[in-house]
Amino acid sequence: MVLTDEIQLKVENIHMAFGGVQALMGVSFEVKKGEIFSIIGPNGAGKTVMLNCINGLYHPQKGRIFFEGKEITKLKPYQRAQLGISRTFQKIELFKGATVLDNIRLGRHIHLKSGLLSGAIYFGKTAREEVEHRDFIEREIIDLLEIEHIRDKIVGMLPYGLQKRVELARALALNPKIILLDEPLAGLNLEEVEDMARFILDINEEERWQTTCVLVEHDMGVVMDISHRVMALNFGEKIAEGTPPEVQNNPHVIKAYLGEAEEIYVTRR
Amino acid sequence: MGYRPCGVYHQYYSQDHAWWQTKFVWGKMTLLFITIFYLIPQFAGMYLISVANVVGYTILAAMGVQLLIGYCGQITLGHAAFLAVGAYTCTLLMLQLHIPFLIAMIIGGLVGGLWCVLFGLPSARVKGFYLIMTTMAAQFITVEFFITQYISQIGGRGVAFSIPPGTIKIGPWVIKTDRDVYYLMVILVVLCTLAMANLLRSKVGRAWIAIRDNDIAAETMGVNIVLYKLLAFFVAGFFGGIAGAFWITSLAAVSPEHFHFGWSLWLVGVILIGGVGSIYGTIFGSLFMTLIPEGLKFLIFFLTQSPFFVNLMPFLPHLLEKFLYVKEAAFGLAIAFFLIYEPNGLSYRWWQIKNYFNLWPFSY
Ligand SMILES: Nc1ncnc2c1ncn2[C@@H]1O[C@H](COP(=O)(O)OP(=O)(O)OP(=O)(O)O)[C@@H](O)[C@H]1O
Ligand SMILES: [Mg+2]
Repeated sequence: MVLTDEIQLKVENIHMAFGGVQALMGVSFEVKKGEIFSIIGPNGAGKTVMLNCINGLYHPQKGRIFFEGKEITKLKPYQRAQLGISRTFQKIELFKGATVLDNIRLGRHIHLKSGLLSGAIYFGKTAREEVEHRDFIEREIIDLLEIEHIRDKIVGMLPYGLQKRVELARALALNPKIILLDEPLAGLNLEEVEDMARFILDINEEERWQTTCVLVEHDMGVVMDISHRVMALNFGEKIAEGTPPEVQNNPHVIKAYLGEAEEIYVTRR
Repeated sequence: MGYRPCGVYHQYYSQDHAWWQTKFVWGKMTLLFITIFYLIPQFAGMYLISVANVVGYTILAAMGVQLLIGYCGQITLGHAAFLAVGAYTCTLLMLQLHIPFLIAMIIGGLVGGLWCVLFGLPSARVKGFYLIMTTMAAQFITVEFFITQYISQIGGRGVAFSIPPGTIKIGPWVIKTDRDVYYLMVILVVLCTLAMANLLRSKVGRAWIAIRDNDIAAETMGVNIVLYKLLAFFVAGFFGGIAGAFWITSLAAVSPEHFHFGWSLWLVGVILIGGVGSIYGTIFGSLFMTLIPEGLKFLIFFLTQSPFFVNLMPFLPHLLEKFLYVKEAAFGLAIAFFLIYEPNGLSYRWWQIKNYFNLWPFSY
């Protein structure tokens, strides 16, 4: 584990409202380079909205976001992707009609150079580039996530668990510096949960990747196991932040989850 | 790409990326090329060649429509406008400035592309229904307004620009017979199809497909969707401009009626019937939409020749007279039936058949 003290992502006083609904109210936090930072909270707490703000799909009414020292609050999602911010979605957002390989290939978009003319001619530059990146995808991603057997399958026809994995593969293909994972374990069976948790650890720890992870997840067992630090949201407000044991024993957190007490610890394990 | 008979494996990714991965496919493609470059022009009669030219023109014209609707998820209901821009740019450059045809055609394509980008600009903000309106506006503003009212007056030639025979030549090759047009058509169709297929297997095409399938995910993965939508409009307009500029070779005179709204709709019909999101679809659709009416006309003509059938169906001669309307009505019906019974178009059937034989005899 190469946890550093260098702050990679800094979120400052974010306010986000939809009409009358206050989804986030003055949330601030910092994510250090190399850590697994989890965001927990009951349904509707504003976790997904937070990720959407970080990655630029939503523009908060107030507050600022910094990535590696640079303010990104005003940048569009594709510009943030170019800086190295990648993500997966709570509700799978894949290119359903395309093959697994083509989905992952799109993740390489920002690293490809061929334009209209060289693409139309293809031979030479583009052909070389395609082979190079295919090699990268096979070696680094398909191998890591163990999806060799489905690389030519159409994504829409795959079972849910594999689609989740393909989404992670696509997000990784971007070669991100930070990856935002929105409930990567939701809807998976026990075996798939174990695989996915292992992949997240791999991405975070392996020499090759060492990618910072921001994890939104309901599965407390996994969250408390793999996170370095945890933040808890409730009704758009930050109620706790700290190491897993600190957050677990925080009275506000226990209160927020009151009535969901069984849900919090008895999830699937 | 992607589909190969079972049992074929590769050692290098470059082999897997190749189009024609087996000897069998190579043989098939060689046969196809011999047919279109040699057998048809050598042995087909004048009538067949002129029909083939219409098919080729339809393929070229529908390619851009396929790109926008089928691959980028943007609607275009005014594509004839960009054909017109290409045709008029090319004609004017040749007649007024005496620029050689080939260069004029390429400039026609570029101008068509830029003109298309102009009408694609709203796609940055609006989707679906509103885009239908703006692209329809392209048709009326370009053809019915600019070209009819202003462009047609240039040079005082009257509404139609007649092209003197022998003006259109590429180097020493004068394009005047239908056979010359045929050769030019085949070359252009092959080049455009190759360019399109190549784009689709590289960065730009994948970005288009991503925008079509899920624009939010595309943007999240770093695709500048506004830029890539506009690129799609540019390339679609470029193909359109080239198609329009090509078609002046078989027109004695260029006039706005060649690029009416009906033709824009026809091109959308071509890809609906052929298959949306498939290059084969463009080709099948063009073949179907051109050959079936010709066949129908033939059939009705044949039937009216025999008194027996005329007695049986006394409306036949009338049908022949009004064939133009019959054709349009028949196609309205055909499109409706296709949307209901074969929503994936002809290309999907083709794909199924091919897949069946790739796995044959164990088709599970
Ligand atoms: N696009 C939107 N328009 C209106 N309201 C929204 C929108 N997105 C989120 N909200 C609201 O913001 C609040 C927070 O939603 P969010 O999706 O962030 O919850 P969450 O913490 O991710 O919950 P879950 O665990 O169920 O995914 C909810 O009340 C939701 O209704
Ligand atoms: Mg959520």
